[in-house]
Amino acid sequence: MTGYLLRRMLFLIPTFIGIVIINFAVLRLQGGTLAEELSQGTGEAAGERRQQAAAQRYENYLDRFRRSGNDLPVLINLRGFLTKADLEADLRALQPGSGLKDSERNRREKDLWLLGPAAVRPLAEIVADPALAALHPTASQALTLCAYTSVEPRAATTLPPPVLTAIQERNRRLRELVMDPRDPVTADANRQALVALAQDPAYNRDDRWRNVLLHTGFTDFCRRLVTGDLYSETKKRYVFEVIAERWSVTFWLNTSSILIAWAVAVPLGIRSARRVSSLEDRVTTESLFVLWSVPSFFVGTLLLHHFCTADAGGQAWFPNKGLSSPDSLWWSTPAYLLDVLWHAALPLVTLSYASFVSLSRYLRADLLEQLHADYIRTARAKGADDDRVVYHHALPNSSLTMITLSAGLLSELFSGVLLVELIFSINGLGWLLLDAALQRDAPLIMGATVIQVGLLLVGILIADLLYAVADPRIRSRYA
Amino acid sequence: MNALKITLLALIAILLVVVVVDRSRQPAQLGELNRTLQALTEASRAQTDELKALRQQVASRPTTPDPGPRTPDPSSGNGNPALGANFLMPYDRSRYHPEWQGGTLRSFASSPKGLNPFLDNSSETSEVHGLCNDSLADRPAWAPEKWMAGLAESAVITDDYRTYTFRLRSGVTWQRPACARDDAFAWLRAEVPLTSADFAFALRIVLDPAVDCPQVRTYYEDLEKFETPDDRTLILRWKRPVYTSLASSLGLSPLPRHIYGRNRDGTPIPEAQIGIQFNKHWFDDLKGVCGVGPFQVVEYQQDKILRLERYPGYWGVPSRHVDRIEWMLDVKQPDPQLIAFKNGQVQAFGLSPLKFKSEVLDRKEPRFAAVDPANPKAGRSGELGWERTKRLAFSYLGWNQRRPLFADKRVRQAMAMAFPKERIIRDVFYGLGQPICSDVHPDHTAYNRSLVPWPYDPARAKALLAEAGWTDHDGDGLLDRTINGTSMPLTFAIKYYANSPEWDNTLSIFRNELKALGIGLDLQTYEWKEMIRIYEDRDFDAVVGGWGMSLDIDYFQLWHSSQADVPSGSNHCGFKNPRVDELADRLRTTFEAEARNAIIREIQVILHEEQPYLFFRSTEGIFTWQNRPPGGKPVEKDRWLAGVVEDLDGLHPLRNRAQVSWHFVQP
Repeated sequence: MTGYLLRRMLFLIPTFIGIVIINFAVLRLQGGTLAEELSQGTGEAAGERRQQAAAQRYENYLDRFRRSGNDLPVLINLRGFLTKADLEADLRALQPGSGLKDSERNRREKDLWLLGPAAVRPLAEIVADPALAALHPTASQALTLCAYTSVEPRAATTLPPPVLTAIQERNRRLRELVMDPRDPVTADANRQALVALAQDPAYNRDDRWRNVLLHTGFTDFCRRLVTGDLYSETKKRYVFEVIAERWSVTFWLNTSSILIAWAVAVPLGIRSARRVSSLEDRVTTESLFVLWSVPSFFVGTLLLHHFCTADAGGQAWFPNKGLSSPDSLWWSTPAYLLDVLWHAALPLVTLSYASFVSLSRYLRADLLEQLHADYIRTARAKGADDDRVVYHHALPNSSLTMITLSAGLLSELFSGVLLVELIFSINGLGWLLLDAALQRDAPLIMGATVIQVGLLLVGILIADLLYAVADPRIRSRYA
Repeated sequence: MNALKITLLALIAILLVVVVVDRSRQPAQLGELNRTLQALTEASRAQTDELKALRQQVASRPTTPDPGPRTPDPSSGNGNPALGANFLMPYDRSRYHPEWQGGTLRSFASSPKGLNPFLDNSSETSEVHGLCNDSLADRPAWAPEKWMAGLAESAVITDDYRTYTFRLRSGVTWQRPACARDDAFAWLRAEVPLTSADFAFALRIVLDPAVDCPQVRTYYEDLEKFETPDDRTLILRWKRPVYTSLASSLGLSPLPRHIYGRNRDGTPIPEAQIGIQFNKHWFDDLKGVCGVGPFQVVEYQQDKILRLERYPGYWGVPSRHVDRIEWMLDVKQPDPQLIAFKNGQVQAFGLSPLKFKSEVLDRKEPRFAAVDPANPKAGRSGELGWERTKRLAFSYLGWNQRRPLFADKRVRQAMAMAFPKERIIRDVFYGLGQPICSDVHPDHTAYNRSLVPWPYDPARAKALLAEAGWTDHDGDGLLDRTINGTSMPLTFAIKYYANSPEWDNTLSIFRNELKALGIGLDLQTYEWKEMIRIYEDRDFDAVVGGWGMSLDIDYFQLWHSSQADVPSGSNHCGFKNPRVDELADRLRTTFEAEARNAIIREIQVILHEEQPYLFFRSTEGIFTWQNRPPGGKPVEKDRWLAGVVEDLDGLHPLRNRAQVSWHFVQP
């Protein structure tokens, strides 16, 4: 039995890793660029742009972009091998008259800034080369931005103060050193200062071979996932802090709706199967199919409109938002529990009706099949009564199907719970995830998805355990 | 027997759940109790302090007679910026009725990311700071184009509008932040007076490149220096006399140096690290807000609630009558919000045009009063009140003047005459919004009333197009013109963003109108991200857009020819007119209100004639609120508000919904 458990748990690990990889890949494929971050940052809210001058402090946007871990190449980091010639070609493409569209030039310029410390030395070579004077303004700006060091929020409080001050001092110097072609005297002084600054040991490229595989977007994401450093820009907090506040609501809504689904589906399925082809069976089947075909967001909205809206007397049957009354903290615990039940009633109905419909139909079909099997006929022949045949012989075999279905139910419910949270204004994980998706907050989506996947895997593990309980074959094999 | 066992088991299970839940609730209850106790201790301590101070005052009371209330600065002005002398209107709260004070105003809002005034630039955060903090000068709700004394008693502008000298009010103290109740923050309990150094600190933070606030910094990038010769004097000096620096100077709010300049334990942060520490300051982690304004944040739970209460130690007279303001942050979808509003859980709410149609026009909700064409205030009388509110924003169709078709002024004018503006506003927007003829709101003082809107006149439009060479030569039903030897039919595409049913309807009406004239129109929808690229690359014949405006009009960004060619410039239609350039430049350095209005009126005439945009409508919304149920049963405390008083009429029409809600009262 331990062997079985261990094997099941080991299976979860590669599944989890695989899901993390897919999750990362999908998000990186759609991930935004710094150019977009900049244009969003200048106040262009959907539908209506505000009249204000474009913001010009690129470092802050760079900070934000780096915090979301989007600045590194996905899997292979060859930035340590960039040469002067590579960057020269890039810079030439950025010059006016190179035939690029504005938006494309804009994007490529910002991509250049993302190269980070690895590009500092080659850019310094370009800046040092008098033959390339035409490229100097663009190159020096790119150089100052590549050399700029971001400090993460958590690091600002944990780094030793002298290190922090040194970083800040270097950043401040960099800001003053952009070469302005209209002012040749300071431009030349700045140029020399930039070249000298590029010799700072922070920009050496000794670890470029190590970085090829170990300093990439994916490894960075995994590091943040493990250390809990995923940072959500839209919430301005670390992702796991946000999730920790929310997951319990979603978790208990999901679990109770599964329990309810089982509690309704099992008796209904058994009853239907035992009275197969009777009028009652046909009526339940037909009406359940009708129920099944009604989408849950529709049912939820209907319930909200008809049971949660105050009538002329100012009273509604059920509360329209939240999972407990605002002042319920001071009520006695039984009263509090009743209040929670009252609040959760409609959300649970909306969440569970679709699952109990499908579960009961599956159980009915499976049970019917079992009831026609040979071993049932044997049992009947040996004189077992009807109840014993159904509950003792057929049902345990049918429950295997139910267990399989329930494991999948957990993930199915997760999407359902999102709608229910929106309709009944419950603060849960689903809502958080939707918010994150709408605002393209990649770290938050990744964090929430990983938690969701974790829950799903736990569901699968529980299902596996239940298999072992229900199926003597498994027990005997691993005995 | 079995049934008994099951019942017994179920009972035990329920009991177990009750016990477990009971145990898990205890820490929360204890915490809440603790907070209440601390608040009580704090209140009694404050009272003791006050009593002590009073006793001292009584003991040291001078024998000389009281000089009487301090007279206001006699040199106060009329609120319009002028050189040389104080121009601020005197501090005026005559519209405040002490007898109306009281009650709670609950409304929906979305959760602010954080509450830091510089780092979090959502509109909710700035609204919280507008309530909790004051600025040097105010724009009163009844005359938003004028400036009234606030934290500054007087403001003198000299040096050709480059130097601003403020004299600060005395006796203003910082609010005691909510976290000071905790003994760990006992050092915050001392009373801290507001000085000019707090304004200098705000500027120092904004200008520090390490601080993550590029949006705010743009407004102060032209600041040359700021000085504080003494505790009550603040001098700002700008590099250039630019009109926008006026609002940036007068609207400056102080930042509590005694909080943001210190560590959690009250020790000062080294000067070099203030900037970087500001980005992740402990006070923001505590969700603290500290200002010198009328309200104080007493509770903030992200995605749940934000509660503000009147601050008892406020130096002035608050601008709102309510005692408490609560933002419900837990309901985000419009449908559940409407139901919560109808259930009486919030007092104020806004309706979209579609909901306005179904709830009010179609009378789905009988508690709203019916529309009465004769009486624009009819909506105020129902059990649920409603009123139209105007917004300083407009929408338009932009013509790309780099394309040969729209380079011709006559074609643009013909489009204006083929667009049935009034009908669309009536049928698609249910009457919400005013038709406009320029980018200035019709209620703005600078609006040019002599403009005659282009009439809806397809016949004249057709004639104008014929004049421009567009006629149906080949008889295929489409207008065409021979360009470079080939016959071109008159067809073009309008690009607009997806998910806007109102624009879908508007543009299909327009397409039918154009079809009747012999013009082919292709409608193309895009995601917002893609729309930004389209604006940036000027990749369109015609495009739908909208601008949010400010009361201070600036023509440079939208209409100056230099902005047509810079990357990502806002003049995406490529409008170029030397006279507008000249006027826009002059407007930026003109400060006198009348001279500004004259320039703005002249630009409007040119824009109206040139039609670079088809100016469509100014935005309007529906604001709704709870009225006392007439003859209804006794209501819960604080659940209803008495409705809007007549002061709503005293407001400037362009103050938005947030300001309208200021004028709720409890009788």
